[in-house]
Order: sequence, then C-alpha cells, then structure tokens
Amino acid sequence: MRPARPAVRFDPRRTVDFVVVGSGAAGGIIAKELATAGLTVVVLEQGPRVEPPQFEHDEIKTLFQSALQNNPAGFTFRRTASETAKPGQIQLLYHRLVGGGSVMFTANYWRFREIDFIERSRLGAISGTGLEDWPITYRDLEPYYTKAEWELGVSGEPGPFDPPRTRPYPLPPLPVKSSGVLFERGARALGLHPQPAPLAILSQPFNGRPACQHCGYCLGFGCEFRAKSSTLYTVIPMAEATGRCEVRPNSYVRRIEVDRKGRVTGATYFDENKKEQFQRARAVVLCCNGSETPRLLLLSASSRFPNGLANSSGVVGKYLMFNGYSSSSGVFERPLNEFKSVTATRVLYDFYESDPKRGFYGGGAPDARSFAYPTIFALGGLPHDAPSWGAGYKRILRDYYTRTMNVDGHSTSLPLETNTISLDPDMKDAWGLPAMRVTYKDHADDLAMMRFLQDRAIEILEAAGARRTWRQPVQETNLAAHLLGTCRMGDDPRTSVVDRYHRAHDVRNLFICDGSSLVTGGRGQPTATIQALAYRAGEHIAAFARRGEI
Amino acid sequence: MLADPLSRRTFLAVSSTALGAAWLAADPALVRAALDHAARAARSPLSPGSPDPVPWDVLTPDQAADLDAIAAQIFPTDDTPGAREARVVTFLDRSLGTWAAQQREPLLHGLDELNGEVERRWPGTQRFANLAPERQLELLRAQEQTPFFQQMRFATLVGMFSLPPYGGNADKAGWRVIGFEDRYAWQPPFGDYDAEAARGGR
Repeated sequence: MRPARPAVRFDPRRTVDFVVVGSGAAGGIIAKELATAGLTVVVLEQGPRVEPPQFEHDEIKTLFQSALQNNPAGFTFRRTASETAKPGQIQLLYHRLVGGGSVMFTANYWRFREIDFIERSRLGAISGTGLEDWPITYRDLEPYYTKAEWELGVSGEPGPFDPPRTRPYPLPPLPVKSSGVLFERGARALGLHPQPAPLAILSQPFNGRPACQHCGYCLGFGCEFRAKSSTLYTVIPMAEATGRCEVRPNSYVRRIEVDRKGRVTGATYFDENKKEQFQRARAVVLCCNGSETPRLLLLSASSRFPNGLANSSGVVGKYLMFNGYSSSSGVFERPLNEFKSVTATRVLYDFYESDPKRGFYGGGAPDARSFAYPTIFALGGLPHDAPSWGAGYKRILRDYYTRTMNVDGHSTSLPLETNTISLDPDMKDAWGLPAMRVTYKDHADDLAMMRFLQDRAIEILEAAGARRTWRQPVQETNLAAHLLGTCRMGDDPRTSVVDRYHRAHDVRNLFICDGSSLVTGGRGQPTATIQALAYRAGEHIAAFARRGEI
Repeated sequence: MLADPLSRRTFLAVSSTALGAAWLAADPALVRAALDHAARAARSPLSPGSPDPVPWDVLTPDQAADLDAIAAQIFPTDDTPGAREARVVTFLDRSLGTWAAQQREPLLHGLDELNGEVERRWPGTQRFANLAPERQLELLRAQEQTPFFQQMRFATLVGMFSLPPYGGNADKAGWRVIGFEDRYAWQPPFGDYDAEAARGGR
C-alpha cells in the first residue's frame, strides 16, 4: 500500500505548482487532488510524521502529555476584548502531525443538511450575530460528501432525517454497543428516531485496510489498525504515489510571502532545526485549521497587506465557532463494557433544526457515548457528589465503571464578530513569533441549546432505565476541539475572505480550505463537511491551475 | 476535530485538582524516558514482584512509606487489591524521577507539611506512616482540600490505572478491580444489553 518514502523530494528553491500548508483533514485531500491532477505539491506540516505502529493505548502519554498535539507554541485567551488575554485559560485541542486532527478525531462523520447552508434566509437575521447563508448549497456539496465517504471509508445507514444522498454508504454501520441499544430503547420510548451513528471507521475491510478491531481507543488516539479513516494512510499515500507530492514534516510556516504585484510566491518556514527555509510555489493553499490559518494570514502582514494577507475585509480571524457541547451520564443494572469498540454507535437527529417554539436559536443532536478510558474514568467519571477517594469511592468506582454510559449533546455556535483569533501583543511562541490570542464568549442561545440537549439526554437515559443519571454542568466553553469560521466563504469581498471556490478575494493565487471556510458551524461534527469542501476545492483549484488561472 | 467528552472531562477532572494540571505539562520526551527507565527497571533483579526493600529512585525509605500509606488510604485494599498491591508508590517514585520531576519538590514539600501536622497533633509520632490507620484517615479527611492531597489523589489514581510499565497497576491490579481488560481486540457482543438485543430480546 504505502509507497517507499520519500516518494519525491523537491529542492525548496525549485518552484513547485503548489505549497499546501497543513496535512490534516483538509490538507491531505487537497494535496491528493492536486497531485493526481498532475500538479507538483509540497505539503508543509509543522508536526512530525508518526506511523500507525507507533500509536499506543497510553493515557498518560497521549492524553495527559498531549504527545500528539505537539504544541510548544502556546496561546492566550480572554472572553471579551475588554480583558487582557492570559495563557492557559482554555484548551484548544488539535494535533500537529501528518494527518492532523484526522488521526485522533472520534471519527463522527455527519453530513451537514440543506438547512445548514440557508439558515439565515429561512430564519431571518439574528440581531448581533453574523448568521449568513453560504454561497453554496447542500446540493453543490453532495457529490463531494459522497466522494469523501467512498474514498476515505465511512460506515453508516441513512435515517429518517438524513439529507438526500446519491450513493449509499460504502460500509454498513459498526455493530451496536450496549450504550447504543439503551439509547435506542430510551429514545424510542419517547417517540424519537435514533439511528446508527455515521463513522469514518471501517466496519469491514476496505481499500486494503482492515476492519475496526473494537479496541476502544478512538477519541484522542491514533488507530494502529488503520481502521479509522485518517488522511495519514488514505489520501496522503495516494498523493505520494503520484511521485509529484512531497509531505515535509517538522516544517513550521511563519509567513506567506508576496511579490510587488500582490501575488504569493511561496512560504517561509522553520525546519526541524528552527532554520528558516523558503519554498517557492506558483500558488499556496492554506489548510491549517480555523485557528492557525487566520493566525498565519495575520503573521503575513506586509506593506501591501498591512492588516494581514487576504484581509481587506477585516474579517480574517472573526466569527470563530467552537460548537456547543454538553455531557450527561447514566448508570445501569448490568455491564455495558463501554471500554470496548468505537465511541458512539447511535445518534438522534430529531432536534437538528432550530425551532422557534424553544424560544432561542439553535439545533443539534445527542449521541450515545462511551466514557471509559480507565484512568480518565477514575479521575472524573463518577457523579460530583460521589466520594472522590477512600473505601466509598472504590466501591462506587467498581460498581459504575462497566455500567456507565454517556449521552452527549453536540450543537450550534452562532457566528459572532467578537469571537476571534488574533495575534497576542505580548506573548511569543517557541519560535519568537507573536502567539495566537483567542477571544471567545458563547452566545446565550448556544448555552440555551446545550442545556436543552442535556435535558433531552437525561430524559433518554431515564427512559432507558438508568438507575441514576447525572450532568456535567453546562458552562461557557473551556475546551475547543472544533475551530471554525475564521476565514468565511462568501460572494462579497467586503464581508468574506474566500470566494465560493476557496480563492482569497484579495489574492488570485492564494486558496484557503479548512474549518475556517465554514460560514456556519453545523451541529457539532464538522469533519465530513471540511473534507467535502476539500474535495470540491481541490477539483476546482486543479482546474484553475490547468487553465492558467492562478 | 477531537470533539468530546473524554477530553473535556479529562481536562476538567484534572485541572480542577490544581496541582494535577502541573503533572500534565511535562515534556512528552520525558514520558518516553520514564517508560524506558521502567523497562530497564523491570529487567533488574530488584524490581516489582521482588521483596522490599526496592531501590527507590528519588524517595527516601521514609518518604516512600508515607506516600504508600497515603495512597493506600486513597485507594484502599478490601477484598480486592488497592494502591499498595498495585505498587502505586513505585509509580510515584519513577514518575517523580522522570516525566513528573518538576512535581517532586512541591510534593515532598507537601509531605513535610503533612508530617509537621502529624507531629503537632500526635507528638512523638513523627511520620504519617507511623499513625494508626484510623488516625491516618482522620488526618487526610481534614486535609482533603489541600493541594498536596489533591495531587496525591491524582497521582494515586493515575498510578493505579495507567499502563503497568509506568510502575503502578502491578499485575494490572487496578484494571482487574474495575473490570477493564487490555485485550484491545474485541468482537460483539460487548456488554449485556447488546448481547440481549442480538438474541432478540427487547
């Protein structure tokens, strides 16, 4: 399967067709689409290349030490612009390695629906927010969702609320776990419509990769079996096999360079020895995620682009969305053994759309989840009023560990101009560059939607027969795993950063495709949409290149 | 792309124990060093499974006895193994000598303070490990909110349930107590309810 690496190596002084910055969910796909279209590509990835045999089930290393996040950069955080941002206030969870977040994500693979692209025109403006329609519709993106599902490998089964699809899922759903059975029982008792959770995890062997072995270590861990459909061992080897794509790890881009005509000429980056290098290219594609892409544009300010590259609109870094989240647990009479198999096997889309009767904007979906890594469960899995040590603690831990499941809510974040990625005026990262500054305050409706889904979650757990249920209190977001909306797509160069083909309005040969492109954040699982956008962008960008339009 | 409860909860669970957060900040390379160290120690004739005295890396025998006693109160032995049988103190010693080295000073300082309290309350006792179990429990209940105790709770539970090469969870004792199995390859049915559903039950 995997070609002998390095498949090809380019001298940085040689002009390649494209530099792609970032090799994650989007970057891996863009690189493959461009390389298979006959174009030369250098992918600059700030993290290392870690291959599946190196992935371990080690909670200390992987979760506590964030070994795969490789984040020496640091960032600062504040709730509002009136505060001084400080380090360490929240966690931004993303992973710096070849494959990026697609290596460690839970692998939920929800398509967006028609409504996600046209919510502004359906609901009208929401005062004080940047809720807008997308310049493209679900119909425009559908072929690329299908392509992603079939090329990467996705398991699922359509349910009653699913958007139309042109092909079935390539693989049937993963086997249901006890949490899924109980979730289904509870939801049906309430008259709701649970369905198998779509996952980018193989339920059967596919394209030379083995089926899931149900090891239980999806969320936060790399899959040593290659059953999770990461770009690391799907599209990236396909790109390399063309002989036209080099993935260059440990390459931290500090600046996109421009010439006198305002065209980008390539990327300046630090190599693994922190030595500056310059890779020349005819065009650049940024796929660094919704936090690092706007930061890189701001770091690339120049006399020609004083407010940051591609930022004549002033919108770069704005409208940051994290997605809403809530968590509830229930304990049952008999063992569920949630430490086995994938994270979620059932989901419920009855509350996907915003409903004026609720009195606030928002939509989302609860799913049946495991929460059973042993150390993590021991530290934080029990109800808050349970003993936290001693004989009483041990007794409850022994009772609850195999019998507990979660129902978690995943929901909307309104795009707000005041939620931003910017450059910190004081703090520097490990390379001496201005650190990222995150400003984020959840909209009241986002918090209301989190609470709404938590109430439904408790009802489902109770209807399923839980002996006892408990909640993680809904609070302002203090851990963000989805980084969306900061270089939003639009037709109007005054209010958006990229056009409908992901070309920067201000710079003809600069393209941006990742979570930052999203105009709205969907309902809490953005990866399928980021990857569908990447397939669509890759196809268009390759066509532009062939026609000399870059 | 890594949505989720686990991470969010981990972070909350851990950061809420003030000093727990500091354990998280170490360099991953040091974790590797700790594992290498543990692997070497496991091959040495005096390591786990062998009778005391074990060769401590950073703890004095007195300190080891105190930390062992505290860990045994946090995760006690009943009809199943506790922190003592899982050799949590070995985990502590190795961690404080490697990947959690920056925690050594605050932790041992906290232990000194605890022993100061022992001596104030029960003159002549000198050390926590010398107290009768009921008095140990009484004292720890009074200390429950201190950063030292929170750090010891965090470290004890991590030592109890993390991979055995880190030094604790000896013979997978922690995992056996709660019902976790490290087989990492399973086939359905996974639990009672999906088994029942597969049999056509409700």
